[in-house]
Amino acid sequence: MIVTPDGALGASLLPAFWVAALALFVLAAAVACVPRVSALSPTLSTAGSVCALALGCGLLLSGVSLTASGSHVLGLATISVRYDGLSAVFLAAFGLSAAAASLSVVGERPRSRPEGAAFPLFLASIVLVLGANAAFSFLLAWESMTLLSAFLVVGLRPTRAVVSAGNVYLAMTHVATAAILVAFALLAASSGGALDFVAWHAAAPGLAPVTRDVILVLVSAGFLTKAGAMPFHVWLPRAHPAAPSHVSAVMSGVMIKTGIYGLIRVIVDIMGGGPDGLGLLILGVGAVSAVMGVLYALMQHDMKRLLAFHSIENIGIILIGLGTALLLQARGATDLAALALAAAMFHSVNHAAFKSLLFLGAGAVVHATGLHDLNHLGGLGRKMPATMLVFGVGAAAISGLPPLNGFASEWLTFQGLFGAAGSGAVEPLARFGAAAAVGALALTTALAVACFVKATGVTFLGLPRSAAAAAASETTPPARFAMGFLAAVCVVLGLAAGPVASALLTVARSTMHAGAATATATVPAVTSTPGSGQAATYAALTVGLLVAAAIAVVAAASRRRTTARRVDTWTCGIAPKPAFQYTATSYAKPIQLFFRRILVPEREVHVEYVPGTRFPSSIRYRSEITLLLEERVLKPAHGLSLQAADFARKLQAGAIQLYIAYIVLAVLALLLWAR
Amino acid sequence: MSAIEPTTTVFLAVLQLAAFVLFAPFLTATIRRTKALLQSRRGPGLLQPYRDLAKWWGKLPLESNVSGPVARYAPAFVLGAILTAALLVPLATSRTPLVSWGDLLVVVGLFAAARFALALAAMDAGSAFGGMGSSRDVAISALAEPGLVLALAGAAIAAGSSDLGAISAFGIGRGLDLLDPAHLLAAAAFGIVIIAETGHHPVDNPDTHLELTMIHEGMLLEASGRSLATLVFASELKLAVLAAIFSAAFFPFGAATELAPGPIALGLVLGFVKMLVIGQALALLDASVARARILTLPDLLGLASVLALAGLGIQVLLP
Repeated sequence: MIVTPDGALGASLLPAFWVAALALFVLAAAVACVPRVSALSPTLSTAGSVCALALGCGLLLSGVSLTASGSHVLGLATISVRYDGLSAVFLAAFGLSAAAASLSVVGERPRSRPEGAAFPLFLASIVLVLGANAAFSFLLAWESMTLLSAFLVVGLRPTRAVVSAGNVYLAMTHVATAAILVAFALLAASSGGALDFVAWHAAAPGLAPVTRDVILVLVSAGFLTKAGAMPFHVWLPRAHPAAPSHVSAVMSGVMIKTGIYGLIRVIVDIMGGGPDGLGLLILGVGAVSAVMGVLYALMQHDMKRLLAFHSIENIGIILIGLGTALLLQARGATDLAALALAAAMFHSVNHAAFKSLLFLGAGAVVHATGLHDLNHLGGLGRKMPATMLVFGVGAAAISGLPPLNGFASEWLTFQGLFGAAGSGAVEPLARFGAAAAVGALALTTALAVACFVKATGVTFLGLPRSAAAAAASETTPPARFAMGFLAAVCVVLGLAAGPVASALLTVARSTMHAGAATATATVPAVTSTPGSGQAATYAALTVGLLVAAAIAVVAAASRRRTTARRVDTWTCGIAPKPAFQYTATSYAKPIQLFFRRILVPEREVHVEYVPGTRFPSSIRYRSEITLLLEERVLKPAHGLSLQAADFARKLQAGAIQLYIAYIVLAVLALLLWAR
Repeated sequence: MSAIEPTTTVFLAVLQLAAFVLFAPFLTATIRRTKALLQSRRGPGLLQPYRDLAKWWGKLPLESNVSGPVARYAPAFVLGAILTAALLVPLATSRTPLVSWGDLLVVVGLFAAARFALALAAMDAGSAFGGMGSSRDVAISALAEPGLVLALAGAAIAAGSSDLGAISAFGIGRGLDLLDPAHLLAAAAFGIVIIAETGHHPVDNPDTHLELTMIHEGMLLEASGRSLATLVFASELKLAVLAAIFSAAFFPFGAATELAPGPIALGLVLGFVKMLVIGQALALLDASVARARILTLPDLLGLASVLALAGLGIQVLLP
């Protein structure tokens, strides 16, 4: 096996990082199987993830690629790995998320030996997916990633609900893999049997339009399923909450991003873009996923399910960026297309940071209280101040508030849409589609603010709503450190959005096989400092410092030397009780009412009265929303497919005469057809 | 735009900040005064908001037993974000004092940050009214946000830049041709959004203190002393900044296009006048329209989004 960096420039350490990362993951898996030292496994995984992070950042900074190939490994086919800029971006995101997730469980024994071993191997499989440069290597790594993550979701002693979640996940991802497999087979067939991505790229311009469209549709369906975009999202809110929190952090932070990586790799890099319709389709899928994802998230009161639906929302935002890029690329507006593609990549990295942080925070809350249900939490901020602080940073970042990282990538996504809507090169209807997506994205970000005020406020503020919440205590030091690290990443990526965005723009251009920018002045840009003469700028660093300075001045000015007098909260004159507070359910009620046509809430109120009076003795309230897509589209479709299967079973009655009759009929039909 | 002396930038920034800070309470006062006159009352004097702020600033604060650092520091985050936004919109000149620091999306983002901090702080004391106000405020803002961004997006796409200074300069350059149907639809949408974002009839009643009907005031219920002064001032400032954005994006005429004392002074005065006109319109609404049921708000705010989208449709589909 030969490992070589493509360039020279001080990159000699990079292959070592790659080998070290994989070796450490394998070692961590081995160590997890030995009871006496199994607690060392997370430490080794952390080290491996840090190596992957270093590799990703190193590749981005030096601008070189890392290539490795081994012929006939396992006697099957050539294993070929190549980490270019696109891989490096996702590898860096992986490193951030995996390092923090592994770190958060340092010193803890895994739930069981196989699960302890599966986690580092899962991490290794993601590293390989991101570098695979040929069909066989890609599918091998892809399938390992799917199976290992499915095992991590289900675990060794699953409940019935978890088994069902695992089955849905496995079934959906395998249909997705099948679609990808067929697309790869078509690509291989059209490029003379070659299996590596470089040959496919060379053959792509010669594809027949029909073949090309079939490939694009199959690849999109396959990778969108992995990404959890609507309508292929059904597995995601089931699988993510079932896994342990540090696993959910990596699944939600990185694994679903491999779907995005796959879309960019195959559609943008290998196929060189698609027709207008594909861009519009992905833009539409993105807009629907974003709005519906956040609406469903708002309606959840299970913390991890809420976060899982937010992953659908964020995948939607990423897809809006990607769809815009494809729309613009198809029309030759390369500068703007690169901006939109960079936005999609930036949001992928950002989401890896804040979603992992939030899942670890949810894990800390579950660890401290044993509760998943927001409606039983409250007042945790007093017991867990450090967790509240970092969770708050993550919540502000995911809500897209300046000067944090989520805002910078959403700013770029908006600019891509403005560009597409205003570009004369784009079809008028597509321009209107982009304009409508502006509204969808604005609605999404505002609803995200609502959702994260709810999640943070109900969990950490006010009075505890249960004894378990009242008895909570701060989480372990490694978990706190891991969350602190990710919170710092959210701040740093936000303030350093200028250089990060320009690095991603370079990667976007090279992924699109476009040369250097021609007229940057007309393209908006995220910069560090103002005044570079672009069409529109967001000077991330200076705006961030200005906001910080303004807050500091106001805080200093309004500080009083006298301490405040402490009083009871105003409750119209009676003693405050935890039950007076708004719960997560009541907090989301106005939005549930506003969007009742889409959410279709069902409510059931059951009141029992004190006999002989109209005074209620107990009130039970149940409220549920209808997951429209699932209930009205997917379940009927599922029912139809079962009916079809039933019919097919009747055809296969098992009687030998029947089969002979089929054969005779088939032969007759063939003879008639060939006549 | 040619390079500008740092001293000029600092001067313009300080001038604009001072103008906003000193004028914002007056704008609120004129709205209250007109509303009172329309209701056949005399109403408080035009200096009352300043007196209120001074009074709260000097008072001994009462803090809930339950609340903690979030309620204590949130007011600084709210006002800090809105003060920053005040520097990123054009007022006296057709450019922002801090040229190309941030565009309309940054201003919208800063408003969202202020909303996030305030809505979170409202939940800190464990009060039903805080939660009520907070939950309604974020829900209404969520409905208003698409209208806000789409209306400004229309102006931005026409001007070819999302920078508010560039939008304003483009508008002045077009003269009265600017007021085409697409532009007017976007302006109408933005007007509705201003009503929702600043809590005027029919969305919210800025003067109510009846517990169950409060939205914005509900969030301030547990605040007192300097926290209350900071939050009330922040909401007065937000109204002024939104009015300035409306003027810059939809009726920029009169703003100074060159950096000379005369035009800047004229632009500042005209800027104030435009804000006062917008304020009077809000007062008229307050006095003449009843508050709508919260359930019907999606109709009104959805209308803003639809108007803005229709404007964009005209712009994009019928060039």
